[in-house]
Amino acid sequence: MRAKRLWAAAGALAVVIALAVGGATTAIGKGSNGNSVLKIGWAQDPQTLNPFVGLDEEDFTAWALNWDLLVNFSPKDLGPTAGIAKSWSVSKDQKTVTFKLDPTAKWSDGKPVTSADVKWSLDVLGSNGALFTSYTDNITSIDTPDPHTVVIHTKRPDARIVGGLFIYILPKHIWGKVPVKDLTGSYQAKLPLVGSGPYVVTDFQQGHILTMKRNPLFRGPRPKYDEIDFIKYGNQDAVERALQLGEIDLVPEVSAANFARLGTQSDIDTFRAPAPAFTELSFNMCQPRFCPDAKFNPAIQDRAVRQAVGYAVNRSRLNAIASRGTSFVAHGILPSYYKSFYQQPKQDYPFDPAKAKQILDQAGWKENGSGPRTKGNETLSFNLYARTESPYTIEDAKLIAEEAAKVGIDFHVQVVSTDKLTELTVQKVNGKPAPDFDTFVWGWGGDPYDPSFLLSLLTTDEIGGSSDSFYSNPQYDRLFKQQAGVFDTAKRKAIIARMVALTQRDLPYLVLTYDPNLQAYRTDRISGVHPTCPDGSGDIFCEQISYEGMLPLGPASGDSGGGGTSGGTVALIVIGVVALAGIGFFVIRSRRRGRAEPVELEE
Amino acid sequence: MTAGDIAAAEVRAERELGRADDAGSVQRLLFGTWRGRIGLFIVAASVFVAIFGSALAPYDPNASSLQVLEPPSWKHLLGTTESGADVLSQLLVGARVSIVVGFAAAFISAVVGSVVGLAGGYFGGWTDRLLDPLENWFLVIPTLPLMIVLARILSPSLTVLIVVIGLTSWAGTGRIVRAQVLTLRERSFVERARALGASDLYIIRKHILPNTLPLIFANTVLIVAVAILSEAALSFLGLGDPTRISWGTMLENAFQNGAPSAGAWWYVIPPGLCITLLVLAVSMLGYLFEEHVNPRLREQRM
Amino acid sequence: MTGRWLAGKAAAALATFVFVLVFNFFLFRVMGDPTTQLAKLPQATPKELQRLRADYGLDKPLLGQFVDYVGDTARFDLGVSQRSRQPVWDEIASAIPWTLLLVGTGTLLATVIGSWLGVVAATRRGKGTDNGLLGFSLFTYAAPEYWIGIILILVFAVWLPVLPAGLQTTPGVEFSGFFDNALDVAKHLILPATTITLMLLGQYFLIMRSSMVDVLTEDFITVKRATGLPWHRVVRRHAVPNALLPLVTLSAIQFGAVAGGLITVETIFSWPGLGELSFQAINDKDFPVLEGTFLVFSAGVILANFLADCLYFYLDPRVQSR
Repeated sequence: MRAKRLWAAAGALAVVIALAVGGATTAIGKGSNGNSVLKIGWAQDPQTLNPFVGLDEEDFTAWALNWDLLVNFSPKDLGPTAGIAKSWSVSKDQKTVTFKLDPTAKWSDGKPVTSADVKWSLDVLGSNGALFTSYTDNITSIDTPDPHTVVIHTKRPDARIVGGLFIYILPKHIWGKVPVKDLTGSYQAKLPLVGSGPYVVTDFQQGHILTMKRNPLFRGPRPKYDEIDFIKYGNQDAVERALQLGEIDLVPEVSAANFARLGTQSDIDTFRAPAPAFTELSFNMCQPRFCPDAKFNPAIQDRAVRQAVGYAVNRSRLNAIASRGTSFVAHGILPSYYKSFYQQPKQDYPFDPAKAKQILDQAGWKENGSGPRTKGNETLSFNLYARTESPYTIEDAKLIAEEAAKVGIDFHVQVVSTDKLTELTVQKVNGKPAPDFDTFVWGWGGDPYDPSFLLSLLTTDEIGGSSDSFYSNPQYDRLFKQQAGVFDTAKRKAIIARMVALTQRDLPYLVLTYDPNLQAYRTDRISGVHPTCPDGSGDIFCEQISYEGMLPLGPASGDSGGGGTSGGTVALIVIGVVALAGIGFFVIRSRRRGRAEPVELEE
Repeated sequence: MTAGDIAAAEVRAERELGRADDAGSVQRLLFGTWRGRIGLFIVAASVFVAIFGSALAPYDPNASSLQVLEPPSWKHLLGTTESGADVLSQLLVGARVSIVVGFAAAFISAVVGSVVGLAGGYFGGWTDRLLDPLENWFLVIPTLPLMIVLARILSPSLTVLIVVIGLTSWAGTGRIVRAQVLTLRERSFVERARALGASDLYIIRKHILPNTLPLIFANTVLIVAVAILSEAALSFLGLGDPTRISWGTMLENAFQNGAPSAGAWWYVIPPGLCITLLVLAVSMLGYLFEEHVNPRLREQRM
Repeated sequence: MTGRWLAGKAAAALATFVFVLVFNFFLFRVMGDPTTQLAKLPQATPKELQRLRADYGLDKPLLGQFVDYVGDTARFDLGVSQRSRQPVWDEIASAIPWTLLLVGTGTLLATVIGSWLGVVAATRRGKGTDNGLLGFSLFTYAAPEYWIGIILILVFAVWLPVLPAGLQTTPGVEFSGFFDNALDVAKHLILPATTITLMLLGQYFLIMRSSMVDVLTEDFITVKRATGLPWHRVVRRHAVPNALLPLVTLSAIQFGAVAGGLITVETIFSWPGLGELSFQAINDKDFPVLEGTFLVFSAGVILANFLADCLYFYLDPRVQSR
């Protein structure tokens, strides 16, 4: 009968669904058996496990736990500490550094770590991995006189060789067998990812879960967690919901919007620490000899105007509103995160609109009713770009425009895509940079210890490269080269202070806020939490910088980290059974009645 | 014979056939039925808010403040958003995007659909053989994925939204127009006009179009509902105009910035409710017009 | 209604699919030239670009490229994701079962519940139950499905935290067997499937109701009542099966709408199907993946339509008499 056919069709559909469940569930990564598991949640998982190809910072999370650097970062003060190298000595002319490697260092597959691995990694990864090439630009050659010694020669003294050679040491016997073309292409290393760190990646299902298991051959103290699962959620809000529900134990990146609220929960602790990153208002400082075809309002290159903006903008208010109070008010281009080198500059820009007006008056910018000030045929009317992908910088931009308007400077906020703003800043005409903007709001992130990268952004050498303000000051350039080669921290700090003073006077960047590291974890799941990197104000587990931060963390007593069936599931089973019974009853009833029908009239 | 002579001949013929003027029944449907009244009221209110929303809003919808995700109070009748902005103000201003995109996209869709349907139905032959599969393709293809792909390739903005939605939703209108034109083409008054020597353009203008326009109009009203939903979906997925507030972007912001986990029902419910009510109202009106055009439907429905 | 009709439908489905390929090709290869994306990288010198173009086969004439494209697609080579550098087909293949699970469950529930409610409403036409059900169906039909989903999250995962708000399983937990695993998946399936069901419910309800109303007023039903058969027997035995046919055909048209709803619903529930894959690709501007998911969505819709045609053919009363 027709009805039968319909049931047959429905039955077929049910079979399809069952098969789908079977097919799908076999692909799920399984958890552990009675081992202690740390569950971390995030909204963005690594793009790849291959350091030659990776471009995102999330990729570092796995790498930092899986591999060592030649010289690791100390979680206490982020200074240099033993990595693969146990000790090192710097030559008199400071152009040669000799490293003695730790002879007990082994790879997770049992093979010893030797100088050949170090040389290969620094040479090949250092020249091909987009995230790593900047560290080796000074290296002229690397020698390996014996399996436990590495000698690095540099063109000029380079403090980064000891304090910031941020290149992972990879096993040459695995990666070295692959042609470079594939390494920078689609090569995926076999899992488990052989490494020398405390954990190695054993499973990576992109978009779902990244599993790392304890490396039994790790030469350091044994970590308390046997396994770390990084679970990917669809969006940031889902991650925070999962933390509240207890599905995960730790969130290494909490959104500013939810940070305050999460902290009010009784079993969740939150951490806020400065990161080596800042958000800035950038001005177009390009001079005609560098950018003959640049497009901008020339008034922006009047220092008085920029300084006036500095006094007119209330950075505390920006922090309170745009970042919900989670960022840190900035004082200059070097974030306070760099404890060894940071010093609050003398020329800071406290909120003082009266002073801003005074500066503009003295520079000859006449007030013009409620409109922008003018001088001759120039007007203080500028464009201010913000990126659609970053709502916080859009709010910053709007607030800046609001406050600048009060002193007679007009900013016209334009929201564009990151691609578009990149285009406007890096576009070239006849091979020379031709930036097309007056101002924009964007941010930069730097290295864990060495401030050179952030400082380099304002050097003349970087025009045409990373410089997006196109600032050029020979004195600043000289000081930059000088500090790069100074190994003595105190001496270096003094030089950096002079550099910062220059940038505070010229203000190519008005640095608004220092970005925070916002983290949260469940106190009923994790014990031994002690913020490090640096000590006292940093990170829960020193994410992306040093695996040593992960070692002291362990499960809170009475919890082995596994999930289980809850009352909810039981309720569900009951509901399901009742529903099925109901449908079944309905079906049977109608069939029985149907069979009792005497006559069948066809239409 | 001149065009004027033809027209005069036709008027005489029509009078003889006694074609009724049924504008009166439209009014009856709109104002006489409760469906029509409610639908009209909601649509009119939405258009009013779309025009005057910015003036009616108690706060600047973009103004951030420190009162983040606060529940409704006397100060903020519908509470605040994740950046401390007033939800009610955003709701009022957001109406404009939905209405503008809805009507503009539907208009484009109507124009394109009518032209294609007309061309295919009237001229037949190769024109139809080319256009008909194209029409079928647009009918079969899942529209939202198509819109997403197009919107992603271009940079999102209000214009892009209107164009993308308009250019993907025309097939329904096209098919209806084509069917109607095919029927009309064989009708006696068209044959008569051709016999009298009228040109194609004249026939289309005087005979085909007037008989098809009500159909197009009714269908277009329904497309408005689809367009409003499409704009909301695209905005929710992040492909909306980033410089404007719309009900869809409100839902997007709410979802991405922690409204569900904060339990902020005052932020989540209003935008969706507005979309739903507007879509319902427009759909009701659309079905009413359809019934008017196709009286057979009136008995079948409800 | 003969086999020839079915063959004709099959041919039409194939033709539509070819159209999709052509469209995909032009949209992505011609408009969204992949090398322009890669050209923005700092290391891209003109020589590099040349090499890239050769790798992608972009230096061949257009027709040659298209032939390559069709050949690749037939071999399930849909290119490589820009973000993860992994084959697009692998990512899509692992997402498809999850989408099928979600769509299948949602559609099944919507059909069953919607039809049942439609019958109930039709038999009580004009009364309170009918109007209430009508209002409810119209509301869920007009409401954006992601809005319904968010409200469900608010109610069942935040206020009364009884159901998980995302993912497909509880992460990091090992299950002792297939049954436990399936139960966990089922628990996570409830909210997303309910959202899909509510999204589709209205249509099925309205269709079933109106075709029931049609059928119930037809003469033969009046005759049946006149012969003294109980009303419910008339409904179940005769009215319902006749009303089902339009339901099957009209539901096929919905498959296009389901695709759109899938993307938003999977996104809000972090359900790892094609919809969420598309959403990630949108955010990453990963065109190969976007192109791939669009192809699969289209193919799915075309296939579903064709299967509905087959089902119609199978169920049609006129085919009975053979």
